[in-house]
Amino acid sequence: MTVFVLCILAFLVSCTKDKTEPNPTEGLTKLSEGYAIGAAAKVEVYTKETSLITGYTKFYIALYDSVSGKRIDDAHIQLNPMMDMGMMQHSAPFENPASTEAVNHLFPCSVTFIMSSMGGTWTLDIDVHNHVNDKEGSITLPLTIAEPTASRQKSFTAVHNGAKYFISLISPTASTSKVGINDMEIAIYKKASMMSWPADSSLSVVLTPEMPTMGHGSPNNVNPVHTGNGHYKGKVNFTMTGLWRLNLDFMSGTAVADTTQFFDVTF
Amino acid sequence: MKQITLLLILSSSLSVFSQNNVALMSDDSSRSIELREIQVISKERTDRQRMLHFYRANQSASLEDILSRLPELSLIRRGTYGMEPSIRSLSGGQINVLVDGMRIHGACTDKMDPATIYIEPVNLEQLQLQTGSQGFVYGSATGGTVNLITASPVCHPDQKLHGLISSGFQTAAKSLHEALQLNYNTGNWSFLGSATWRKSDTYRSGGGEKIAFSQYEKLNYSLAASYQLNQHTRIKADYIGDNGWNIGYPALPMDVGYAVARIGSLGIQHTAAGKRLYKWQAKLYANQVRHYMDDTHRPNVPIHMDMPGRSMTAGFTAEGAMRINRKQQLRLVADASTTRLTASMTMYEAGQPPMYMLTWPDNRKDQYGAGISWTCQADSNWLLQSALRLDYIHTGLTTQAAKDHISILGVTDAARNELLKNLSFTGTRKLNDRLKASASVAYAERMPTATELYGFYLFNAQDGYDYLGNPGLLPEQSLQGEISLQTNGKKARLKFTAFYNHIRHFISGSVNQSFSTMTIGANGVKNFSALPFANLAGLESSLLYKPIAAIDIVSTLRYTNGKDNTGDPLPMIAPLKNTSTVRYQFSHFFLQLETEAASAQTEISGKYGEDKTNGYLLLHARSGCQFLLAGKKTDLQLGVENIFDKSYHEHLDWGNIKRPGRNGYLMIRLNF
Repeated sequence: MTVFVLCILAFLVSCTKDKTEPNPTEGLTKLSEGYAIGAAAKVEVYTKETSLITGYTKFYIALYDSVSGKRIDDAHIQLNPMMDMGMMQHSAPFENPASTEAVNHLFPCSVTFIMSSMGGTWTLDIDVHNHVNDKEGSITLPLTIAEPTASRQKSFTAVHNGAKYFISLISPTASTSKVGINDMEIAIYKKASMMSWPADSSLSVVLTPEMPTMGHGSPNNVNPVHTGNGHYKGKVNFTMTGLWRLNLDFMSGTAVADTTQFFDVTF
Repeated sequence: MKQITLLLILSSSLSVFSQNNVALMSDDSSRSIELREIQVISKERTDRQRMLHFYRANQSASLEDILSRLPELSLIRRGTYGMEPSIRSLSGGQINVLVDGMRIHGACTDKMDPATIYIEPVNLEQLQLQTGSQGFVYGSATGGTVNLITASPVCHPDQKLHGLISSGFQTAAKSLHEALQLNYNTGNWSFLGSATWRKSDTYRSGGGEKIAFSQYEKLNYSLAASYQLNQHTRIKADYIGDNGWNIGYPALPMDVGYAVARIGSLGIQHTAAGKRLYKWQAKLYANQVRHYMDDTHRPNVPIHMDMPGRSMTAGFTAEGAMRINRKQQLRLVADASTTRLTASMTMYEAGQPPMYMLTWPDNRKDQYGAGISWTCQADSNWLLQSALRLDYIHTGLTTQAAKDHISILGVTDAARNELLKNLSFTGTRKLNDRLKASASVAYAERMPTATELYGFYLFNAQDGYDYLGNPGLLPEQSLQGEISLQTNGKKARLKFTAFYNHIRHFISGSVNQSFSTMTIGANGVKNFSALPFANLAGLESSLLYKPIAAIDIVSTLRYTNGKDNTGDPLPMIAPLKNTSTVRYQFSHFFLQLETEAASAQTEISGKYGEDKTNGYLLLHARSGCQFLLAGKKTDLQLGVENIFDKSYHEHLDWGNIKRPGRNGYLMIRLNF
């Protein structure tokens, strides 16, 4: 009997061991797939959300050898988002994968969609330099971007220098918010030209959350400060569930850049 | 009453019990107030016992009416119902309010449900009030202890079933008060059941104004079963249920839709008159209180909200009385309890998801304590007493959501462990046959309450601030002294007491300018914080005078002065107050005139948003008669309170809500 039990245990243990490591795309949604012609690579694009909305959008790209189907974990990926409005075209802020090495078999990157597909057609060019076979190619994916009820993407023309800035709320989201201390993260990009949207680190941010329904705020918030690549991180405290408005004032040194922006978060 | 008296005398074990109780409690700082005649006559009465017995004769009186007539006690009033007792101006977490020694924590963040509401006078056998040097023996407290002892079933060999039924009506609130009590015994078993139903409309104040949201309705029921194991030992199980609904709180922005308490215990009591440990008892108990506040009946509220709360307590108590020798006695107390609290608030705005927060983030308090009280009759003139109690207390938050809430206040670890220490000495000297003097000093500590540690935006309707808990609060430390002088004449008994209480780390609220209010219309946010110290000083005196056999005069006077460390008056301090009663008894009838007089209170706390309160003088008239109705002893009482229809409120009444005006009452009680 004991031997039998041990055998079963051994079997179970070996089963567990035999099991392949967790699927890297577990919990992600496959948005699109295709072949980067010339790079002999199959490209799969994943996101955390099931549909795309305006604002900062994180993508996870998986590459496979188009013949063997083996994962490609060493590649250089270059993004090029484009909005075609008929009369004109413009790009958008984006972040290429930070490294040519895949992180858990995926290449994380981002595009900040500054408008929805209502105004034109979004496409995303992905140029792949496959380091395994040293070949290059690209794929163009059409994307549909919706405008959410509570916008997570705002822009303003700065008072102090007249430049146009685009700000995205990365966190908190409705699903991650809780009563308590929440991580706050925004990204700020400056529009240099129709095709150039560099990250900005020059502004400072003052965060004032409030519940518009109740007319109260919350204590001990931490203003987002620049941590790199236009990302600003702080803390926002929610004292109850419901609709919260995150008021943001932007300063350039002592000069006021803008004091009109806010994001609404409901949870 | 005579029947009950007789029954109790016949029940030997019980009368031993009650005698012991009196023997244990009848020192100057620990007043046991016997409400049944048997226990009062079983031993020489203290003045307090005599006084309570006297006030108790008014059968329409609620427990709160009785409590408010004791010079040491005041009541903080937020509504007609659920007034919060305050001993020498200390209340809440500064005092213990116990039912049969059990801890019961209110489930209401606004303190609308002190444990006193669960005991109806019909079900109350004895009221123990302990101040000063004995006030902490049942639990670390800076202010003292009120212990409500519920009625026990009695064995009677001849009468298997007996009881009483009573019915009353009061005009000011068109209120009804119906009560039934049944006592049944068979063999070694005896049972006592009681039920009380009260229904009260909104009352009219002096001058005729209707006080909106002052109505309430409640049903209280209890069942006690006792089994006599042997001559010395009995086992007793008690259950009290209390359901209240539609309870208005005129001084608060919300009412109580429904409040329910379930209180149960199982205990063993042992007496052995000749033994060294001549009495001991032990008990296991558990209780739960649920409390639903809402503002659905209030007009013009900016936003509708619900505030449910729940408390659960389970515990153990043991107590023993021990004779060391002919001169020395010990009382030993040990207890442990655990309390869990949670309360939340949900606000509703059309077209939006509900707004939800924890107002008492889920928390628990575990308490383990032991106390000892030593009495020594050193010689015929000197009585020495000393008491000691230690409590180990752990408090903490129990859920991640609760910790997330409190983390907003910048607190990473809200758990607390404290060892509370209490110690007192009392000396009583007989100066001559008629004069007795007593002096005591005590050091006592008390744990900050869950509200003070973990409260999350709790709105205080009195000062209009949202309060935030402070998990770092130190225990309050009290150094107090009391002297009293007592004369016992043939016709008159006069007692005079002066006390002084210096409290370090006095817990108060300090304005936090940088936080925004949560409650719409609030004045601001206060953090619970400790003042370096506060001082309370006061006088109490009582007179019992019997010029001729038919006339009783009882008069009490009290005055308290409280100052914080800056010399500003403390809030919620009652002004000089006198209650005087003269009763004329002839045959089976009595007539009684009563005055209540309070001076204006001008020593007010501006920081707490208090305003001055005018003085007042009230006159009440009561009468009653006893007769046989179908062979059953029957009491009929009628009277008029506030005869002049004076429009007034007391200083401790929140929101300056006026008290009832002229109130006529009629009460009939049939004993069978």
